[in-house]
Amino acid sequence: MPDPILQPASAVAAWTPVATAGLSIDVRDDLTIAGIAPFRGKAQAVSEALAERYGLALPAACRRISGDDITLQWSGPDQWIAIAGRGAARDLEVELKPLLAGPAAVVEHSDARAVGVFSGKHARDVLAKGLPIDLHERAFRVGDVAITHANHIGVTITQTGNEPAYEIMLYRSYADSFADWLRHATAELTA
Amino acid sequence: MRIACPHCGDRGLDEFVFLGDARVTRPMADAAEPADAFHAYGYLRMNPAGPTDELWFHAAGCHAWLVVTRDTRTHVIASVRLARDVALELRAVASTTEDASA
Ligand SMILES: [Zn+2]
Repeated sequence: MPDPILQPASAVAAWTPVATAGLSIDVRDDLTIAGIAPFRGKAQAVSEALAERYGLALPAACRRISGDDITLQWSGPDQWIAIAGRGAARDLEVELKPLLAGPAAVVEHSDARAVGVFSGKHARDVLAKGLPIDLHERAFRVGDVAITHANHIGVTITQTGNEPAYEIMLYRSYADSFADWLRHATAELTA
Repeated sequence: MRIACPHCGDRGLDEFVFLGDARVTRPMADAAEPADAFHAYGYLRMNPAGPTDELWFHAAGCHAWLVVTRDTRTHVIASVRLARDVALELRAVASTTEDASA
């Protein structure tokens, strides 16, 4: 067998070079993500099945909730995503499909998304340059989720900590465009 | 202009795509005078100076279709409803009317 030509590469590796004092960027290449779309009228049944297994019900619109070993996040009308560390080959699609086989469609999302956590005293100001929503603490709090855009690139933002810390999730093929924007948005900090 | 998406809250116009008049309904293929009916559906609009119902898509947000009632003179938005809810209401009204006439 010849050596494979293609090597695995991180989609978000280009995000980290802009990290600086006051802006930490923790890229999350270690996640397993699954989409959950309850069939019509079945959201309650999905919520109950998840609560029984993980102790978490489906969160309300624009919200995210985390337990010991899983995070559930609103992902649009009648849609949610489940997020967890990949750990020892954990695969949420494989894990959730049997649990929700009756009331929901479960779809693998891990390889579709690029994820990073932005924290530090400059995190809010840098993200506010590209995102059109109000990130001030009176408008956006820990556990809040917004589906919006950053410099025209579709992103889902969640506030994950009070520092503040924000998780940014976007479609993987836009990761380089986002890195490009990030370089410009952070130029004043890194110069 | 800002639109209060029922799912996402108040968002800027840059997140939305405009489709057009929400008051037109596609005729059935077996409508009387189908050519006239489809011509009217495709081309004829009221263009009111005042309140009108418009379809907007939350493209850079939750991907919901919305029916926005907006005054064309002032851009003041009187209501924003999910297009799905509006369509289901119309269907319910239509089936009640059918039941009554049956
Ligand atoms: Zn929305």
